[in-house]
Amino acid sequence: MHPLRHPRNALLIGAIFVVIAIAYWVSPYLGSGHIDYAGITMLGALGIAMGLLFYILIAGSPNE
Amino acid sequence: MTANAQALAPAEHSPVAGLAHDTRGGISNPILGMILFITSEVMFFAGLFAAYFNVRANAPHWPPIQPPELAEHFNLHAAPWYALVLTIILVSSSVTCQLGVAAIRRNDRTGYIRAISVTLVLGILFLLGQAYDYSTLGFGLGDGVFGTTFFTLTGFHGAHVFGGVIMLSVILYRGMAGQFSARHHDAVEATSIYWHFVDVVWIALFSTLYIL
Amino acid sequence: MATTALTPAAPAYRSGLYEWATTTDHKKIGILYVVNSFIFFLLAGLLALGVRTELAQPGLQFLHDEGVYNQLFTMHGTVMIFLFIIPVLVGFGNYVVPLQIGAPDMAFPRINALSFWLLPLGGILMFSGFFTGGAAAAGWTSYSPLAQDRPLGMQGSGEDLWIVGLILIGTASILGAVNFLVTIFKMRAPGMTLFRMPILVWTILVTSVLVLMATPVFTSALIMLFIDRNYGGHFFDPATGGNAILWQNVFWFYSHPAVYVMVLPAMGMISEILPVFSRKPLFGYKAFVFATAGIGALGFSVWAHHMFTTGSVFLPFFSLMTFLIAVPTGVKMFNWIFTLWRGKLILSTPLLFALGFLSMFLIGGINGAFSASVPVDFALHDTYWVVAHLHYVLFGGSVFGLFAGVYYWFPKMTGRMLSEGLGKVQFVLMFIGFNLTFFPMHILGLSGMPRRIADYASTAGWNELNLAASIGGFVIAASIVPFLVNVAVSLRGGRLAGDDPWEGNTLEWATSSPPPPYNFDHLPEIRSERPLFDLRHGRTHPVAVLPDPGAAPQPTH
Repeated sequence: MHPLRHPRNALLIGAIFVVIAIAYWVSPYLGSGHIDYAGITMLGALGIAMGLLFYILIAGSPNE
Repeated sequence: MTANAQALAPAEHSPVAGLAHDTRGGISNPILGMILFITSEVMFFAGLFAAYFNVRANAPHWPPIQPPELAEHFNLHAAPWYALVLTIILVSSSVTCQLGVAAIRRNDRTGYIRAISVTLVLGILFLLGQAYDYSTLGFGLGDGVFGTTFFTLTGFHGAHVFGGVIMLSVILYRGMAGQFSARHHDAVEATSIYWHFVDVVWIALFSTLYIL
Repeated sequence: MATTALTPAAPAYRSGLYEWATTTDHKKIGILYVVNSFIFFLLAGLLALGVRTELAQPGLQFLHDEGVYNQLFTMHGTVMIFLFIIPVLVGFGNYVVPLQIGAPDMAFPRINALSFWLLPLGGILMFSGFFTGGAAAAGWTSYSPLAQDRPLGMQGSGEDLWIVGLILIGTASILGAVNFLVTIFKMRAPGMTLFRMPILVWTILVTSVLVLMATPVFTSALIMLFIDRNYGGHFFDPATGGNAILWQNVFWFYSHPAVYVMVLPAMGMISEILPVFSRKPLFGYKAFVFATAGIGALGFSVWAHHMFTTGSVFLPFFSLMTFLIAVPTGVKMFNWIFTLWRGKLILSTPLLFALGFLSMFLIGGINGAFSASVPVDFALHDTYWVVAHLHYVLFGGSVFGLFAGVYYWFPKMTGRMLSEGLGKVQFVLMFIGFNLTFFPMHILGLSGMPRRIADYASTAGWNELNLAASIGGFVIAASIVPFLVNVAVSLRGGRLAGDDPWEGNTLEWATSSPPPPYNFDHLPEIRSERPLFDLRHGRTHPVAVLPDPGAAPQPTH
């Protein structure tokens, strides 16, 4: 199956946002900023939602 | 199934294999629509959770009630037992809901009706239990940001459970009227997916409010 | 074996009021969206004229009360965003997307109708504030504590009506997004793989993902504000443990992706129009798709660049991510330019507006890139520089793109051509008026004029530029007149369009204008992203004809 059609790869898109959320969590430690828990929560949830979204769109598409 | 449809069906081991599919091999439209809607609901709760984590991180101690001795009174960590009972009720209802889906998938209408009835009863029990919990808590929506976040989070979850209870009633009625079969039960699949989502949100809520 | 010949009756364009009120046909719903949105465009435009009239000269000449001024700019922004630009682009998507993918309708036609009708309802709720003691007046961004129900804040019901109206409109958006995604993924005609879809369909796809993911967060913020205002909540009240900046955080997490919702479909329209009017294929189709997806994804990680000056933001992260968005946007710019390059340009109105889009959006992107730099933003935040930026991308970008789409698809929707002469008059007036209004705002912002003020000191040195901007505003208003005249005249007696007046590339031109209710009698073969071009030049065959079982076998080629 073409990689773009494989549903598992759709979860990668969600994973990207989770990575961004982690980067957003870690980066204030490198600077001097304080941690923005609201932003981390929203980005992390976005990763979960995006992963589920793209998974079901690709897995649920017709097989042509 | 015709040979053509079989060739287009998803692989046996795919997680979506059990869900209803149309003749071109894709997942049925209403079920896809429900799952997409659920992803948007995930983000709705994300906003509320974001508010909770934000204000909690800014608070010197939690619950942020003065004087600190009084705060112990509202410490949910101290007694999560009641909420644990509610959790067991909701998780069981998810199990019975899935049993109902399995039943209608193999055309077992009686089994389906039995399982969905139990699910519905458990759902209503959860709501009543939540209402009772509210009445005994001793703090309200206006009691500082602690009360506001607690009641908003659990309240909107309860509203979603209520919506789920309505949906379960509808599919129970339709099931009793004989409208579902193994080949045609999109509404059952969609409702059960929604119900599982409501359960998952509760697990997250319970962990966040009572354990973390 | 019997065959059935389909001979549909000629479609009636003017249906009864009942038909329009109860329709679930995506084409009629699309037209409803567009007409409703233009009504709100005119209303919000009048509000802007109110703002510009007051600001033309220093001193409060027309408004006795700055509170009224605050209502004017708040409702102008809110209505333009939520009741004009987002719905009108969704409306065009509603009309065009099923046609472009060869589908008979959207996946959920009744939910489609619901999504539309929630819009006038939400709009009426918001505007009713004007009649119940004052509309919302805390800016479209509604920051706390101004938005709270307290002395010196938004006491009265206007803000609550605003909140409820927006919750309804947001719900409509989310349902619409679900509808588009299911339609695009499940209802494409055979042969139309994802990478053969028209770019407009791709942009609507990415827009729908953004709407689906971001709008619920806004809904949650609105609910939290409503609870604070009406149920004694403390989300945004620092005195009792809340956090006023929390509102900004959650608000902008939605509102930044929202600006891509406002511009991506317009970019999709441009990407349909430029190839047709340059007689060349779109340059770099795949790069375009990935750039659009990249903008959508990156758009979620820049929200706090609206909050640089709050002191609660990790500045380097957001500044970097904001600069990064310029990369996929630049890719698209180059793709559009290389589509035009060495093409045989046909300078009709759609192309003129598309060229207007390219030039004005470029300026908007550049002045945005300036703001991405933290030190620059610290100086320019909440000044007229930002007003210039947002109008160059939203008006110069989205609205010019929208008008390009209007002139391009009006023939398909109504069966009649819009007048080219009036269209060119509108373009020239609008282009001049737009630049006259908003270019001076760069200079005003750089010299420190804050935004959202009803009056300014006559010694500040801002008088001439404000006057110029106000004159420009009235020129923009004047430019709407030839447009409305054009629509009225063309609907009655415009030149008949036929199926394919522009020699287009995509499937909507393979059916009558307007299309029959079921859209297509038959579809051409789809072997590329330009099925009609292929058909016209013999690369594919027309209708797939069923072979007669009784005839001798024909040699295949």
